[in-house]
Amino acid sequence: MNNTSENIGTCSLNKWGETVMEINDGQLKSELILDELKGRQRTREIVDVEQERVKMVIFRSGANRYAFYGKDIREIIPSCEISWVPGLPEYLPGLINVRGDIESVVNIRHFLGEGKIEQFSGLIAMAVKDDFRTGILIDSIDNVVDIPLESISPPLATLDGASRELVVGNFEYDNSTISLLDIGKLSSKVSL
Amino acid sequence: MSVSVIPDLNIFLFSVGGVNFGCDTDQAETMTDYHGEESNDLFWFHNELGFGKEQISYLSPVIVKIRTGDARSYRIIIDAVEEISVFSLNDIYAFPTLCEPFTLKKGMWGILKHKERMFFMVDFHLLLKNTPIKIEQKKKAKRRSK
Repeated sequence: MNNTSENIGTCSLNKWGETVMEINDGQLKSELILDELKGRQRTREIVDVEQERVKMVIFRSGANRYAFYGKDIREIIPSCEISWVPGLPEYLPGLINVRGDIESVVNIRHFLGEGKIEQFSGLIAMAVKDDFRTGILIDSIDNVVDIPLESISPPLATLDGASRELVVGNFEYDNSTISLLDIGKLSSKVSL
Repeated sequence: MSVSVIPDLNIFLFSVGGVNFGCDTDQAETMTDYHGEESNDLFWFHNELGFGKEQISYLSPVIVKIRTGDARSYRIIIDAVEEISVFSLNDIYAFPTLCEPFTLKKGMWGILKHKERMFFMVDFHLLLKNTPIKIEQKKKAKRRSK
């Protein structure tokens, strides 16, 4: 029996005449390597867990799916009566009464290049960011998910003109690419 | 505790094209029934407010002569007044920030909540700011058509 290393262990011949390595406490080198690999994997998992995650509200508008940062959406209101106000631009279809508070409503289709609708029957997402607050017409909610921050990629260069001013990134969800819209950018587009 | 110096408002309520409006009675000098007359100082409410191309029908049109405080004559045709009541300022709210720049241009400065309905408060003096131009345009159009 040869001592090959004080730190690792000793080498010996097995019954087939092969040299195997035994660690000081009787652990094989392969076991040591496997432990090392598992240790690295655990570390990777811990790193994964510690990744910063962001909540996304994924919704449909027209033919496409989009998302808002969850922190910017206060609530989703079922379809309610929108009071039309004379003199408002096309992207402001009117006002809603949310438990006594009168809120404006923005038709985001106008900025996304989606087709017009005659009769709205979808939902209203109440968006609040800094001093900006408004309801936003959406067709439906797809999901509310937490995604790793690093999975958001910059906006696609191929994005068409209508929506590119609102899109701050993209991420993959349910086998499709979702455009992430920024309430702050919407705010600067609609505020005078 | 701050005390409002603005007294309660006496407001007349009416609807045009299914939209509810309110106005301070102090702004109305007279109210008379409309019988189809035309005049350079007479304007349809829906045209003044920018209702768009949609055809608006009035059930019982009434002419409101606006108290201008000077020699100008400014009259608006509205639909019949539904109610005249005193309202506290607590019943009136500002338009949401996004809408206010547009509504003020059309003379609407606030929203009165009454019987689960929204009444848009109209200040005809705000509308009057543009009226001299409109009266002139009306006169020119009349001259061209002759």
